[in-house]
This record gives sequence, structure tokens and C-alpha cells, in this order.
Amino acid sequence: MEIFRSIVSILSAVAIPALLLFFLVYGAFRRVKVYEVAVEGAKEGFNIAVRIIPYLVLMLVSIAIFRASGAMDVFIALVRPLTDLVGIPAEVLPMAIMRPLSGSGSLGIMTETMQAYGTDSFIGVLVSTLYGSTETTFYVLAVYFGAVGIRNTRHALPTGLLADFIAFLAAVFFVGLVL
Amino acid sequence: MLNHIWLALIVIGILTAAGRDIYDVSQNTYGNGVPWMVQIESPGSLDTYGKAIDATVRIPRRQVLAHFPDYSGEADVLIPARVTLSHAGDGVAVLDVTGDVPEKFRVMAAALGGERTLTARLRQSADVWKAEIDPVSLVYLKKVTNAAFDIAGVAVQIAIGLIGIMALWLGVMKVAEKAGLITHLARFVRPITVRLFPDIPADHPAVGSMIMNISANMLGLGNAATPFGLKAMEELDELNTKKGVATDSMVTFLALNTSCITLIPATAIAVRAAAGSSDPAIIIGTSFLASLTATIFAVTISKLLARVKMFRWDRSEAE
Repeated sequence: MEIFRSIVSILSAVAIPALLLFFLVYGAFRRVKVYEVAVEGAKEGFNIAVRIIPYLVLMLVSIAIFRASGAMDVFIALVRPLTDLVGIPAEVLPMAIMRPLSGSGSLGIMTETMQAYGTDSFIGVLVSTLYGSTETTFYVLAVYFGAVGIRNTRHALPTGLLADFIAFLAAVFFVGLVL
Repeated sequence: MLNHIWLALIVIGILTAAGRDIYDVSQNTYGNGVPWMVQIESPGSLDTYGKAIDATVRIPRRQVLAHFPDYSGEADVLIPARVTLSHAGDGVAVLDVTGDVPEKFRVMAAALGGERTLTARLRQSADVWKAEIDPVSLVYLKKVTNAAFDIAGVAVQIAIGLIGIMALWLGVMKVAEKAGLITHLARFVRPITVRLFPDIPADHPAVGSMIMNISANMLGLGNAATPFGLKAMEELDELNTKKGVATDSMVTFLALNTSCITLIPATAIAVRAAAGSSDPAIIIGTSFLASLTATIFAVTISKLLARVKMFRWDRSEAE
């Protein structure tokens, strides 16, 4: 575990500089006009970032309204009997529901929950595993589909949410094994 | 689907806020219109007419209960305040509600527009002071309004913040693409990608971008991952024969992305360390296994759901 951890942390520190160096030197070697071509690509980056603004604004606004109104608490109370059945502890339910919706919201919940139940308790390790092992599904879908103007997202949302649910069950299972 | 959920979040949110506000009005949750009988305690004299002094406002426990029936504290509530008194026996107290006071005071302060202060008008009657606070109502609807406006600004900041990093990475990617590197990379992982994405030509640049996105995600390099991912979506969209409709490959790619195998959950470890954990990195193993499980299921689910009637490609139109 310790070795794995240090390998991964070295890898993530070296990855970006190494990638930059390798791509650009390889490009120069292949006689690509490195700077001019890079500027061309950078222009695209600007366009994409601007294009996602409306999608991002509207998605985040609807989630913020849902949170601020306290509807989240009502929703948690409603689904609690279901999650009790599958063995997700009630204490991590706010996290489980916030995680796909909001990155900053779930970060706040993770911090609060760890303060309340202890960082190294079952609940503490579980919330941080939940945070670490899943993504903000709604944000990703809004931004990625927004960038290419997809309006009919087909089965993307059910797939993402089901995967989140499975990640939660798996986290409960694996944290239970470790602790 | 996203349409309905988006609408549902807003409608449920606003209706919940309105419902709670109506309940609060009917129960007079914030004790509107009922004056508070308080004592003002100051180390010096209160006879400093017209000048603001630092004092403590003592609210007897019984008074707190009269306004907030659900108050559970055993003692009087003490609130630090900036008090200005006039000759005529009246004045103003600006209460600092950031400390150890019932949460409702903070809710009231927020609803009345003070960041951390609550303003009370004072009038002396015998040895106590009668304090009046502006009526508080529609707390949740106001919260909803503020949250919506705030986050709209934040969303733009997020997107603007992306511009720099997007420009950098897409610039570098363009060089790699022109040099033929991305095609090499795509060919290298071909055995996997032809199964995951049967409708993408094996050495299409989209494959390279997706690989870059997923590798960056695995290492916890979120900033580098997004540009690659958005680039991948653009390239996937070039192969799209029905603009505006998500292709099978896009959905599978996003399933991989949102459930992404995590080698190093950097943020969660940092928060654990900051919160004083004795073993912050214990979650590396659990996160890895949980995300691996989720990824396997996510890909399977995306393949299965693609065949369900309501999601089938040949039945889907851009709405």
C-alpha cells in the first residue's frame, strides 16, 4: 500500500511536465511548427470554454435551488427506508445524494460528516471513499454534452446514476472489509 | 431525460421553499411581532448617549422559549452587541450572531440581509429593555433567490477559469496530433477500444483524446482531464450522424468518465489530512476498488441500456 501510494504520487507529479516535454519535443522532431500549431489548438480551447457557459449556468442554478430550498433534506427522508434495506448507513445518505449533483456541496458534506463522526471511523472513511471514487455526474454530463450541443442525452443519465449507486454499494462493502 | 430532471429540480425546489415559508408564517417560527425582553450588560456605564459602545445583550432563557419553542439550551443566551442609546431611553443594538447563539438568529440575520449581524430597536421599560427585530418571513424563498443568483456568477467563473487550462492543453494536443502521436496512441490501445467503441474507426483521434482524458482522471489531474474530455466529445461528434443526439460511444465514454477508476483520490486525502486523520491515505485502496467495480458496471450498463427501446439509437431524435 505504501509503495503503491508513493509510486502514484510521484507519477501524478511528473505526469504533466513529462507530457509537455514529450509532446512538444516529439512534435519538433517531426518538423511540426510547434508554436503556430499550439496557438491554433489554444484558440479552440477558448471557444469550447465559452460555449459551455449557458449549460453550466442553467444546470448549476437548478441544483442550487434544489439545495437552498431544503428539498434535499425532504428527499433524503423519503429515500431513507430504501437505503436502509440495502445497508447504506443513514449518516452518509446526504453525501450519496449530493455527490452526483454538486462537487463543492459534497466536499462540504464530506468535511462536516468527518467532523461529526471522526475521520477514521467507519462513517468517516466511507464518506471520503465515496467522495474519492465517484464524479459529479450532472456537472460532467452538462459540460460535456453542452460542449457539442447534445440535447437528447439518451441513456447517459440513467447510466451515470446507476454507476454512482453501484459505487456507493461497493464503497460500503470494501470499507467494511478494511475496517 | 436531462430536461425533465432539470425542470423537476427547479419546480420541487421552489415548491418546497414556498411550503416551508407558509408553514413558518402559520407557526410564527421566528416570533415575529413579539418583543424581546432583554438586559443590556456593559463593563462601563450605559450613559454614553449617542455613542456606540460594546455590550452584551442577555436574553433570559424563558424569553428565548417564548419565541423559539424548540430551543433546547439550559442557560440564558448572551449575544455581543454594539449598542447606541439616546437620552430618551431608546436606542439600537447591532447583535453579532456569529458566536454561540441559537441557529435561528443566524437564519434571521441572513433573511434580513445582514451578513452576521442582526439589528434590534431598543426601548427602556423599568429595568429591562424591550428589543424589537424586523419581522422575518419567506426565509427559504429568499435563500433560493440568493442561491440562484450566486451560483449563476460562480458558473461563469468556473467556465472562465477553464479557458486558460483549455487553451494550454488543446494547444499541446494539437502539436501531438499533427506529429501523429495521437494516432499511435489510439493504435496501441486498439484491442480494448474496438470493443468499447465499436462505431469509432480504430485510429480516429477521438480515441487518443479519450485515453488522455481517462489517464488524467485516474491520476487525479482534473484540470488536465477536462480539456481532453471536451476535445474527445468534439471528435466523437464529428462521427455523429444525428447532431444533437448522444451516440452510443459518447454515452460509454461518459460512463467511463463519471465512474472513472481512481488511482489517487487527491482531494479526499487532502481533506482527511487537514481534518486530523491518523491515516489519510487509507481510502486509496477502498476508492480504487469501489471505482473499479463502478467502472465495470458503468460500461456494462451503458451497453445494456443502449438496447432498451426508449433509448435506442434508431428511435432517438434531437428533441
